[in-house]
Amino acid sequence: MKQQSVTPILELQGVSFRYPDGSVGLDSCSLSIERGSRLVVLGANGAGKTTLFLHLNGILRPQSGTVLYSGAPLDYGRQRLHELRSRIGLVFQNPDSQLFSASVREDVSFGPLNLGLEKQAVRERVEEALQAVGLTDYADKPVHNLSFGQKKRACIAGVLAMRPEVMVLDEPTAGLDVAMQLGLTQILERLHSEGMTIIIATHDIDFAYQWGDSTAILAKGNCAATWETPHIANSLEQFASHGLGVPRVAELHNLLVDGKVLERGKSLPRSHGELLRAIASLVE
Amino acid sequence: MLIEQCAYNNHWRQVPPAAKALFTACGIVAAFVSRSPLTTCGLAGIMAAVTLAGAKVPPFRYLKVALPALLFLAVSAATLAVSVSWGGLPLRLQFQVVGQAEIAHIALTCSRSLCGIAALLFLSLTTSMTDIIALLRRLRFPEVMLDIMTLGYRTVFVFLEVIHDTRIAQMARLGYATPRLAMRSLGILTANLAIQVWQRSNALHQAALARNNDGPLIFLEGEYHRPIRSLITATVSGCALIALALVTI
Repeated sequence: MKQQSVTPILELQGVSFRYPDGSVGLDSCSLSIERGSRLVVLGANGAGKTTLFLHLNGILRPQSGTVLYSGAPLDYGRQRLHELRSRIGLVFQNPDSQLFSASVREDVSFGPLNLGLEKQAVRERVEEALQAVGLTDYADKPVHNLSFGQKKRACIAGVLAMRPEVMVLDEPTAGLDVAMQLGLTQILERLHSEGMTIIIATHDIDFAYQWGDSTAILAKGNCAATWETPHIANSLEQFASHGLGVPRVAELHNLLVDGKVLERGKSLPRSHGELLRAIASLVE
Repeated sequence: MLIEQCAYNNHWRQVPPAAKALFTACGIVAAFVSRSPLTTCGLAGIMAAVTLAGAKVPPFRYLKVALPALLFLAVSAATLAVSVSWGGLPLRLQFQVVGQAEIAHIALTCSRSLCGIAALLFLSLTTSMTDIIALLRRLRFPEVMLDIMTLGYRTVFVFLEVIHDTRIAQMARLGYATPRLAMRSLGILTANLAIQVWQRSNALHQAALARNNDGPLIFLEGEYHRPIRSLITATVSGCALIALALVTI
């Protein structure tokens, strides 16, 4: 299990939220997110991942409990929300819910213009964001002519152009083919290496194991556990008790260690590629 | 979609929308100041030629887009020129063609409409909706109208996709096998769309909030090649059209 962090950039303390129809969004959810970290939120459909993310951006307010940003409780006044949303970017699951301008460049400019920046500064940010996600050639295309993966990248560019400290992505890999997933992972990797805190919701446990520094398990609106990702391999049975399965790479690696094919104690492979390399090194 | 394809793939895509809108406005003014049907038809021809030869809009697409409007115009002209009534004994249909003076008047009205269609086709086939909205914003159109236009334009394509998917799903389960089933499926599709509209509008509102929006939807305007030169060219050409219409009265 994860050790208590010292200076969380975001923190939820016993946050509860119910929708008007009575369904539970969050139920006494407590979670701590470290600055500059990569957190993966795992949970079944309806576990409360999207509700959690909408709380981080101040779109939903907790009915009980507190959300803290840099140690201070969120202030839901207009000006403070403005500041919060310029620092915490939210990428929605369905790109058609986020892209509402007709052309890519226009949509990417929407956030920076809302920050009140000068047009020249906005232009620079838009070009930079489009370049970061590899959509420069599509800047003047209408949004409805983009593929699903390109729409997702346009959504990320729209948030990147606001230069947030934290980027929150709701199931970014859903509906993407392998190549697109790889491209997206590279973009996220680059952003993280530049110091950005990245929070991702996903069902993909193998992606979570490969990519995240830590993994939070959300079940019925409650943050059931938070794991340092490398520690998952040592406690697979305990991890499996959450009912979300286990990372296949960790499972296979443990089997190879038990069968004395691989040595215990060496660095743990986090991806299929790393495991293959470990096996290949034995053959050599 | 045809209009979209032309607007994004013509040779004058990078010409400032203000110049194209000015030329269009001049074309419409020329149509209304002209007193001769022949001249007005000539003006329509010039507008069409500019669209086809200048902006290189493919002729087949142009005709396809123009056809519904031209059909509507033809029907209107026919109903203006011929009056149909029941009369006489035994009761029968009577066709009466209007007089010479009225024919001239109808010809002028229809030719003006034709020129108006050609002018608007020039604008819509060479200028994307985003450029037109940006231009209207610069012309200080009410923000609410522009926001509705922006969202309306974007959501049209989202809902087209929803309608397409729902219809395919219904067809796969024999939803349109008989006229009765088709009516039922159409009703379900409409109801489903109403729910989708509500859900999508809520999602779009949240997305706008997440990107710090609490007022009008503002977007970056495009940059165009040689804006001053284009405006001067549009002004001169537009004035020439009006002059042509005035000279041949």
